[in-house]
Amino acid sequence: MILYTPLAQHDIFPVEQGGFSNVEHIAYDGRMIYAIKTKDGSYQIQQLVSTDPQDYLRKEFSPGSILS
Amino acid sequence: MNNNPEENENQEDKPNASSIVEKIQQLGQSNIPQAPDSNIHVLSIIGQVEGHIQLPPQNKTTKYEHLLPQLIAIEQNPKIEGLIILLNTVGGDVEAGLALAEMIASISKPTVSIVLGGGHSIGVPIAVATDYSFIVPTATMTIHPVRLTGLVIGVPQTFEYLDKMQERVIQFVVQHSNIKEEKFKDLMFAKGNLTRDIGTNVVGKDAVEYGLIDQVGGVKDAMSKLTAFIGTNNGAEGGVIQ
Repeated sequence: MILYTPLAQHDIFPVEQGGFSNVEHIAYDGRMIYAIKTKDGSYQIQQLVSTDPQDYLRKEFSPGSILS
Repeated sequence: MNNNPEENENQEDKPNASSIVEKIQQLGQSNIPQAPDSNIHVLSIIGQVEGHIQLPPQNKTTKYEHLLPQLIAIEQNPKIEGLIILLNTVGGDVEAGLALAEMIASISKPTVSIVLGGGHSIGVPIAVATDYSFIVPTATMTIHPVRLTGLVIGVPQTFEYLDKMQERVIQFVVQHSNIKEEKFKDLMFAKGNLTRDIGTNVVGKDAVEYGLIDQVGGVKDAMSKLTAFIGTNNGAEGGVIQ
């Protein structure tokens, strides 16, 4: 893999890892979502991946809202 | 600590109660008034362009396996008439970036890109891949040689491989923008612009002057350009249908 970026190698690959490991990408209502799995097994939306700008106006896709 | 036991109990009940409320909310689905479908879709290229290796999670990444099917869906969906690419990227994997750029370049629908903040390295071919490109006055694009760090086995072969990879990037940019190959290479190998490094940091207006980007502008300009493209497309189609 060759990375073409002005960032330094250690900025992309830090020595210590972990932390964000509970982030998953899931499909919800036909949209791709990055969500954090909470302790009670539900998902909290972190980021929506969609090309439809109207999706970003929908309340249930706003960052922080909780899916079942 | 003057909390009475009752209050403590209440605190313990709270998470339960809220989860029940959540479940009720989830089951009793209410109909949300839907905005009319947008005929323009937006694709944002953010953070690192991720290649075949998943980057550590503190990187904000653009994943090709998510974007390539979306681009096909945009091409296929008759309701979508135009595409805007928003760029704020630091570059990333060369082949994933070129894949995205080629996909965008080969879409039949009108495409417009806006470089916001930064469109560095492999962000350059993605920015120029569209029919028309915009850059906001404060955005920058770093143009520098493709580099490799780490253990190299077979130096001459690796050098040749890297050189060819760089040539692919240069050729794509030259073919899809108004910049001359000489000029792009000059910027790429310039000394003294980036401290202790080779390359150039091209800011908004300069990018347009070099012919890399078509125009300085933001959302308004990009939207009006795209609607103009869509208008001419529809006009041409309307002429054929009797």
